[in-house]
This record gives sequence, C-alpha cells and structure tokens, in this order.
Amino acid sequence: MTAAATRPATTTLEVANVTMRFGGVVAVDDVTFTARTGEVLGVMGPNGAGKTTLFNVISGVQKPTSGSVSLGATRLSGRAVEDVAALGVTRTFQTPVMFWGLTVRESVEVALTARAFGGTYPPAPWRELTASGLGMPGRRRAEAAIRERAGAMLAQAGIAAMADRATDSLAFGEERLLEMARALAVSPTVLLLDEPLSGLNPDEISAVLSTIRGARDAGVAVLLVEHAVGELLAVADRVVVLDHGKKIAEGTPQAVAADPLVIDAYIGDELE
Amino acid sequence: MIAQVWQYILAGVVVGAIYALIAAGFVLIYQVTGIINFAQGEFAMIGAMTASALATGGMPVLEAAGIAVLAAAVTGALCYLLAIRPARASTGVTLIFITLGLDVALRGLALFVWGTNPLSLPAFSGGSAIVLFGGALPPQSMWVLFTDLLVFGALYLFFRHTYAGTAVRAAVANPPIASTFGIPLRTFAFWSFVAAAAIGGLGGVVIAPITSATYDMGLTLGLAGFVAAVLGGLDSLPGALVGGFVLGIVEKLAGGLLSTGWEQGVGFLILVLVLVLRPQGLLGRAVRRA
Repeated sequence: MTAAATRPATTTLEVANVTMRFGGVVAVDDVTFTARTGEVLGVMGPNGAGKTTLFNVISGVQKPTSGSVSLGATRLSGRAVEDVAALGVTRTFQTPVMFWGLTVRESVEVALTARAFGGTYPPAPWRELTASGLGMPGRRRAEAAIRERAGAMLAQAGIAAMADRATDSLAFGEERLLEMARALAVSPTVLLLDEPLSGLNPDEISAVLSTIRGARDAGVAVLLVEHAVGELLAVADRVVVLDHGKKIAEGTPQAVAADPLVIDAYIGDELE
Repeated sequence: MIAQVWQYILAGVVVGAIYALIAAGFVLIYQVTGIINFAQGEFAMIGAMTASALATGGMPVLEAAGIAVLAAAVTGALCYLLAIRPARASTGVTLIFITLGLDVALRGLALFVWGTNPLSLPAFSGGSAIVLFGGALPPQSMWVLFTDLLVFGALYLFFRHTYAGTAVRAAVANPPIASTFGIPLRTFAFWSFVAAAAIGGLGGVVIAPITSATYDMGLTLGLAGFVAAVLGGLDSLPGALVGGFVLGIVEKLAGGLLSTGWEQGVGFLILVLVLVLRPQGLLGRAVRRA
C-alpha cells in the first residue's frame, strides 16, 4: 500500500521524557521507553497510573506537556491524530469503536481500502470514486483481491462466521475481535491495544492473544495495556510498569514480576 | 370524487419526486458534514433556470439539461470551497447560517442574471398525456419519475456496492475514527456538496417543463425538500424518497380538497408534527450508540 512506502525505514517507537499535566494533576511524569518492531511491550500499572493517557499522547489525541514521541526519525508528537495514524500508529479502545451500519466484512474492507481514496485535497480524482466498484474488468480483480484479503483477516481473527452480520448486532467480545482485525487491516507499524482482554470469555481471550502474537511475528510493535496481569506477563516480551504517572520498572516479564517496587505498587490492587 | 382524489395523488407523486431529489441533497450533505444546507433549493433553481435560458436561446433540450446539471454541480463545488470550507472550524449553527446566506446570494445572483420573468423549458419528449386508471399525467412526469429511479438507484449502488461508498458510510458513522483509517473527510464533504447540487439541479431541470422556471423557485423547493428530508429522517436516503412522496401527495390532496392555501402551508404543519411526535423522522435512527 502507498502508506507503507511513506513510512520511515527504522520503526522504533521512542517515548522520550513525556510528561502530561492536567492542571495540577500529573498524569504521566517524565516517562521514557522504546518499543521495537516485532516485540510485544506490556504496559502495566494500577488504575490511574497513566496508561491510557500515555496511549492518547502516542496516538496524537493529546499533545504532551513536555517530551516527545517519535517513530524512527519521524517526530509524532504535535501531529494530528490522522497524521500519526497515517504514519503507521493504530490503536484500539477500552470500549471498541464500531462503524455502525457497516457489516463485519465491510468494516475490514474499509480499513483495507480507505487509504486508496487518498487524504489529498483538492478532491480525489473521479477515477477512484467511479472505478471502485462499478464493474470495470481490471477493478474486478482488485476487488476480488480485497475481498479475499478481508476474508483471510476475518478468519485469522476468528470471526469469519459473522462476516455478513451488521456491526450493530455484535456482542462486546465480538466487537473487540473485529476491532483487532480492523486495526491489523491497515498494516500498522505500531499497534496500541488498550485493555483488549477485558470483558472477554476464555475463547475470545485466546483468540486475541494469538492475534497479538501473530501481529508481533509479522513485525508489528505491539504496545499492550492490560489489567489481566497474568496474561500480560505471558504474552509480553518486555514490560514497562507505571505508577502514579512515573515509570517504576522496565524489563523482562520475570524480572518485573519479581521487582519489589512493582509488587509494592500492586499490593491491595490486582496482582494475580 | 374518487377520480379527483386519484388525480391529486398523481400530481402529488410528480411534485413529490422532485421534493425527494432535493431532500436527498439535504441528507447527503447532512450525513457527511452535519450541515443542514438551506441553499439546497437554489441548486434546483440554477438547474431549471440555466436549462430554460439555454433552451430559449435555441439549444436542444437534452443538451441544455446536461449543461444545467453541470452548472448546478459547479455551483455546489464553489459553495463548498468559497463559503463552507474556509469556515469549517466553526460550529454547526454558524455553518447553517452561512448556507442561509448562500441561499439569499444565489437567488440574488439569479435575479441579476435572468431577471424576474419566468422562463419556460420544452418537455423532453412530445406526446400526449399519459392516462393511468382515469388520472392524467403530463408526459414530462415520466421523465421526473425516471430521474428519481436513476438517482436513487445510483445512490444505492454507490453506497452499498462500492468501496468508496462504504468508506463514506464509515465516515458518517464515526468521523474521527474514520479519519484515522485514512478516510478523507474533507474530500467527501466536497463531493457531498457536488453530488447534492447535481441532484438538486437535475430535479430543477426535469420539473421546469411542468412548473416553468423563476429566479425565486428555489425557496419553496428548498423548504419542501427540507420538510421531506426531516419527515423521512435527515440521516436516511430511503427516508428522503418516502418523505418526498408523502409530502407531495399530502400537499396536493390538501390543496385540492381544502383550499390552495393549504397546499403551501400543510408542509409546515407536517414539519411541526414530525418534530414533536417523531423527531428522527419516518426512517431515521432514533439514537445512535456511542
């Protein structure tokens, strides 16, 4: 896809001295870490540790008070959300966000094809609008390819059986699986997952975990915020621990789990 | 009596078909941009006036019609580029007021260019009136209904069977998230104005042989289209179709059975009733989740 070509060649996500202040509250306090392609970086911490704020800063929803986020040589902080997304940073939300009115398959197809309509202005050429489905022979083949690709992504996410259902009819867990498939359909460089396991049944959890591993093996840098500490430690290659906005530990899952500071932060909380 | 009622209904269907086209323009722009474009009726006026003026000057009718639709589409594009886009950071109410300004400006421009005299446009094809179960329809009304079929058919195919159409639906469902997927909201907003203007212009062109064209016809057509769109549901294209026909038929029945004054006023009664009893319209969605 054209978007992939414009992405930087080195694709390490660097979060450097990021601080996010809301009035007197410091939600993220001088946090620094890197996430590399082909690894799952777990981000853990008790409630209010600043995990979601961190995701908002990385994805461009919020501009950090100080510090910077960059992807390879490209600075992300200060850019608009859609520009950050165009550079290959995709996220999912604690509550899945659906395109109501589309079917499951259409949701993935939109993600696969959206960039073809070009974010350019003045308007996209007629060619793209008219040729996109009106039955021109060359386009037929392209369409079949998109359909096949969408089918494969749905199968991989374990939701092939519900391809033609309306998104409005999905259960929470199904929405989550679709949101993951849709996020992967844009071939992200960095994938930010905000509590992708919450509210899921065991089957759905294993589907999401295998999707996460699949994305990692495909060379995506996965940042995973998750309250289910056991699952997070099992799937993560490295872990960053936040508490009250500060990074208090970073390392392998084993090292982090044994860290007294981490255990201390989680006492009375939810360490399983 | 029955024959008379039937005749009113037929007349209502014809005028309702035009309302449906204008309502479709309201819905397209509203869905994609959240703006209620009160200049919508003027696109129909520009279509009708341009076609009539060109045909009066000796151009073949279908050729004049094609150029007129193009003129309406260009007007829509210019409205967006010159008036809406520069103010896109404004709130919805401001943008709606801008469209009211556009409405006045376009009507003034038409008065300046064409004057106050009504222009006529020959019917697209000759022939005698079509008789349907005792009711009579002018031959041009077949063109009107055919245009509706064509426009709504094309809209259906676009939205349901093209990736661009699916992307527009995604943009309608959730603009900020859609834009993170690379869906170009502004491009779609531009095209929604162009499409709404072209469809409105086409409506004006096909109705001109029946009603004749005047510089101020856009006001009534625009208001009727707005009522039809609200009646059907501002976020529903099938609603625009249904709303247009219902309004057209009710108007003609009220005008015929009560008095001609009612024909003009009944639309506003419907508007008030819909807003009180069923604000989402006949086919609109009541509340959108998240």
